[in-house]
Amino acid sequence: MARSHNPVSRFGLWAVFVILAVLPLILRGYQLRLVTEVIIFSLYAVSYNLLLGYAGLLSFGHAMFFGTGAFAVAILLEHFAGLPLLLAVTLATAFTTATGFVVGCLLLRVKGTPFALLTLAFNALFYAIAVKWSSLTGGDDGLIIDPPQLDLWLLTLDPNKGPDFYYLSLAILGPVILFCWYFTYTAMGRTVLLMRENEDRMRFLGYNTLLARLSLFTLTAGLAGLAGSIYSLFFAFVSIDAISIETTTTVLLMTFIGGTGHFAGPILGAGVFIYLQNFLSELTENWPLIMGVLFILMVLFTPGGLVGIIKGAAQWTASRRKTPDLRKGAKNRHAHSGS
Amino acid sequence: MILEIKDLHTYYGASHILQSVDLVLDQGELVCLLGRNGVGKSTTLKSIIGLVPPRKGSVLFNGIQLAGLDPYRIARLGVGFVPEERRIFKGLTVLENLQIGIKKAHSQTDREPWNAETIFEMFTKLGERSLQKGGHLSGGEQQMLTVARTLMGNPELILVDEPTEGLAPLVADSVLKMLGTISDSGVTILMVEQNYKAALKLARGFYIMSKGQMVFHGTGEELVAAEKIRQKYLEV
Repeated sequence: MARSHNPVSRFGLWAVFVILAVLPLILRGYQLRLVTEVIIFSLYAVSYNLLLGYAGLLSFGHAMFFGTGAFAVAILLEHFAGLPLLLAVTLATAFTTATGFVVGCLLLRVKGTPFALLTLAFNALFYAIAVKWSSLTGGDDGLIIDPPQLDLWLLTLDPNKGPDFYYLSLAILGPVILFCWYFTYTAMGRTVLLMRENEDRMRFLGYNTLLARLSLFTLTAGLAGLAGSIYSLFFAFVSIDAISIETTTTVLLMTFIGGTGHFAGPILGAGVFIYLQNFLSELTENWPLIMGVLFILMVLFTPGGLVGIIKGAAQWTASRRKTPDLRKGAKNRHAHSGS
Repeated sequence: MILEIKDLHTYYGASHILQSVDLVLDQGELVCLLGRNGVGKSTTLKSIIGLVPPRKGSVLFNGIQLAGLDPYRIARLGVGFVPEERRIFKGLTVLENLQIGIKKAHSQTDREPWNAETIFEMFTKLGERSLQKGGHLSGGEQQMLTVARTLMGNPELILVDEPTEGLAPLVADSVLKMLGTISDSGVTILMVEQNYKAALKLARGFYIMSKGQMVFHGTGEELVAAEKIRQKYLEV
């Protein structure tokens, strides 16, 4: 569990940071937009994995929070001219967090399949509201946003410029993703993880598991809302797609493709998904078909996702290096399988 | 009197498991609950801690009604539970497993609160393995860890479900010895056990259950003397 103290991973973290910082010097236009999209969807997928991978809660309704955040920021900017960009994002995130709390209070009395089905029903409800309340949401037409400039002391960022928006989303979402990582090591994060292993045990040890689950659900709703709000600023447009079941499926696919067993899994999944989607949609308009087949194959043959494959490969190389000392290697493996 | 159970009824779905159970525990006692498989011994413990909430009846702990409370609330009031099958967190170290159990001391006695140090001092085997993963411990050590984890919550009352089940006789002895040590420190213990002969060395009071009801309550001597009851409800 002490991955964070590993010097290799700390070096890796700095390397990633430096690469991300200089990326706009290398990538231009469309390519940079793709990376920005990956960053946005990374937070969305990371928040989803806190629910699925860490707490063991399968939700089919994460898009309701992504969409709520996306619409909230658009509606705020439309109705309150001159509202600063960061304030709009903060308000949208706060509103989504509150929504997540209310929905969580209604949903979290049940677990397992009933929970999954209720999240699906709530997502459908949110979608229906977005469609029917067209005076607010624009209905099928959606809302066009004109994201205001962001004035900081020394520099002004223009969200309509690719590199500016890239840095903006990196500066906001990067630390939030790091916070999620930190969260998994806090007492609260550990509690949620141990609850997945055995909830009754945590209850008779004195943990209020319902409250822990509600807090986590509210947190992940807020995170998805934040990702959603940056998403609509990025496209300068939001439609009911953002709140649709497809957007839930997207995050589910990203998380599964990347792997739920590691914090970085959903980030990897988001990257692969978005690049694959772009690549495939250039080849054929029936790209979801190929994506679906790939997804089925992955679930069938690599339930651990890409992270599982990488872990497996690492173990395989490590065990091959040990082959000269056969007995010791076998002993080690035995000890590991016992855990 | 630390625990007083009156007319307790518990159901699993439609089946009526506990049919008017009465039980009384005095402060500092170590009492053993005996009986054949499936008579409701474990259910009695789970009803007290709230994992299987009773449908009717009263469970008074230091005068507080436990029936209807959530397990986490009951635990926070000072009731520890050591489940069957040594349920530890296998991926966590021995020390981490203990830390999970930390709660504020509730005890009204003058006893020093338990912490990892006092536990490692008293049960040296756990101390030697404090940084090992729980899953790498032997069955007996895992059982001791489960008991020790409960101590970290500084409970006044510990419910122990079949602590020696599946353990080799020597290991079972050391687990029972551990419970004796804890009992000597002033903690009240209610223990479910199949093997009454082993429990005779340890427990003061005995209850025997049959078909969801108490059929005997007495001391060790009375249990030894009551040959017919033993034959009917315990021996094969």
